[in-house]
Amino acid sequence: MATPVPIPGASPSEKGRRPNPRVAQFQRTWYFLSRNTLAMIGLVILVCFIFIAVYSFFYHASSTQLEYYCGSYTGPFSGGTSNATQGCNNICTYPSNQAPPGPNCYAVDPNYEGFVPPTWDLTHLSLGPLPLGSLATTNSPYFFSIYQGEVKGAPWSLGISAGIVLSGAGLGLLLGSIAGYSGGYVDEGIMRVTDVFLSIPGLLLILVLLAAVGSSFKTFNGRIGILMLAFIITWWPIYTRIVRGQVLVTREQKYVEASKASGAGWPRLLGRHIIPNSLFPIFVQISLDVGVIPLLLGAIVFLGFQIFPSPYFPEWGSVSALAIRLIPQLLSTCTLNLGAGSCVVPWWQLLFPGLTIFLFAIAVNFLSDGLRDALDPRLRR
Amino acid sequence: MKMWVYIVRRILLLIPVIIGVMTITFAITSALPIQDRLISAIGFSKNGYSQYISCAVLHNNASETGQCQNPAYYQGVHMLGLDQPIEVQYLKYLYNALTLQWGFTATHSPASSVIGTNQIPVAQVLSWYLPFTLELAAISLAIILLLAIPIGNYSAVYRNRPLDQGARILSFSGFALPGFILAYLVLLGATFAAGSGHLECGGTSSPYFDFTGSWPQPGCFAGGVFPSWIGAHQQSTPTGFPTIDAALHGNWWLAGDTVFRLLLPAFVIAYGSIAAILRFVRNSMLEVLNMDFVRTARAKGVSEAGVVRKHAGRNSLNVTVTVLGLTFAGFISGFPIIEEVFNLRGIGLILALSIQPPYDFGLIFGSTLLFTIIVVTANILVDIVYGFLDPRVRLG
Repeated sequence: MATPVPIPGASPSEKGRRPNPRVAQFQRTWYFLSRNTLAMIGLVILVCFIFIAVYSFFYHASSTQLEYYCGSYTGPFSGGTSNATQGCNNICTYPSNQAPPGPNCYAVDPNYEGFVPPTWDLTHLSLGPLPLGSLATTNSPYFFSIYQGEVKGAPWSLGISAGIVLSGAGLGLLLGSIAGYSGGYVDEGIMRVTDVFLSIPGLLLILVLLAAVGSSFKTFNGRIGILMLAFIITWWPIYTRIVRGQVLVTREQKYVEASKASGAGWPRLLGRHIIPNSLFPIFVQISLDVGVIPLLLGAIVFLGFQIFPSPYFPEWGSVSALAIRLIPQLLSTCTLNLGAGSCVVPWWQLLFPGLTIFLFAIAVNFLSDGLRDALDPRLRR
Repeated sequence: MKMWVYIVRRILLLIPVIIGVMTITFAITSALPIQDRLISAIGFSKNGYSQYISCAVLHNNASETGQCQNPAYYQGVHMLGLDQPIEVQYLKYLYNALTLQWGFTATHSPASSVIGTNQIPVAQVLSWYLPFTLELAAISLAIILLLAIPIGNYSAVYRNRPLDQGARILSFSGFALPGFILAYLVLLGATFAAGSGHLECGGTSSPYFDFTGSWPQPGCFAGGVFPSWIGAHQQSTPTGFPTIDAALHGNWWLAGDTVFRLLLPAFVIAYGSIAAILRFVRNSMLEVLNMDFVRTARAKGVSEAGVVRKHAGRNSLNVTVTVLGLTFAGFISGFPIIEEVFNLRGIGLILALSIQPPYDFGLIFGSTLLFTIIVVTANILVDIVYGFLDPRVRLG
């Protein structure tokens, strides 16, 4: 901001020719976007998440189900002694009020053997297990790795969110532009159907659809697909309404009239003039909604519905919902008269899954705000 | 157009929407397995509800082979009228729904076990549970409006200054955290903050119970039991609204406690949905501040506070009202989570429970219709208020 930089594409280049208008517009948008600090922070966080998603394909763990871990420690809540035979990855743990049995062992709370705290000691990483701590769902020796959930969840969360929102937006764009452009009975019909879908509680629609048709999809990818389809069905009406509103404004513009006067047919009018100029409000809505989907998935899992193909599915929302499941149990037994240690809360279990979703949603939000400001000439100054 | 013509027209436009919602609910629920439907309505049967079972099991005769028709299935299907043509079923369903005969709650379902009784009229259950949700919605709406309008206006006035950035980041953070995490963080904080100062109900319960549940634990009451006017299933009389009823019965401690119990969930709901509204208030205020009449007001020498409060503030309200209507559906749909976390007996909890198998079909139909009516009524109210605020809407 200190030195005035010429806005790209605003003036003719040295050769005296203007650059391609689309390229110039892209350069201009990037110029305004890159001056917005919050938007840049959002972009950096998003790029990091995409890197994590790529990294997850090189991380050797199941990407369809979180793997069971269990501590070697046998305390008051332990069910058995030989955990290794129960099909879980064994980890050396010991009660924190006792002496460590050996190097590379985790100290856990004497009352809760599944509460393995995160470690900053990199020698633990060579053992491969729990850099972000454990994810205990009940008071049992079994727990999961939060790190594994977050890493393996990255491609699922990003993919499912993007897939749902882009398909919903595509459908909304199609129906909204048809409704807005044709008007009359077509408009009335489409908009009444949209109103109906906007008025049904989304939770009900998603869950009953999944229950009704989900059982006929047996394969893993089929189950994910039907989940996405159920979300798309609840998602398109918002876009249809936004696009229709925007198309109603755009079709009255002078350039559309000019194009019509010079003999353009409706496909050209819609495809070249009306839709490209009605796009940017849904662009903002898309980027807002992408951040919301993991939150919604988490909320549904939290309510106790198994929407994913496996009960411990590595997806950010699902991981955070699993992580929170222990909290009411802990809080309701948390009596203050028993002295210190009776109110143990595994803070890492709340912090890391929550932080991942939070950073993702807030990064997408910042970026969408920046995009809105950069794309709308009235808002940039 | 006269105002009443406008209102009547808006209400008439509702009819197709409500019928559409009911049609979709009917269509998707009839795709659910018939077995679940029979279990829900009749209860478990000795031989189950599959259409064919092995003859050996049916006749209790090990020597028989082959598959026989299951009489329990056919009796159940006939009893519920599921053997009639689909259009007859649909018309009957519409007739019953429109005359408020929403059937009875299931014999065995997660919802019945929370309600504490079964086979009672759905409309009655909803009338017990609706007032809690309405009180919660009213309090959270009040929090949203009290915070979003002034903060949004001042964000626009002090655009891109620390106040604006701070408000945006704070409201974004509410939007970006899942409701259940935020709710448990608030509960954790409250439980630890209450510490030893909490009301020890019987000396053993955790302070957690001071902040959850629609009513306090019976042990917290003088005498250890609920007052007689709170009925068996936590419905209160005569209005059904817990706070109002407690006040009417002169039990001020209980009234205060009920409001207090609604404050934390209302805060969580408000914090989660304030970002969208704040953003719209800010944007519309920015637009209005650039208009000619604001410049004229300033030129006439109106004080800056007067310009912001009277000239620009009133005019930017239109958009806020519209957005409130649009976000109301989203706002209401967050209730199942919050009511589950805080263990509040509301419609959201009932809706979430009724979809868990074996489904509670009566409650699904009833609560869906009720949710829809709440949402569309809110939209109509918004349109009417909008019509009053901006005469161009109803004249155009």
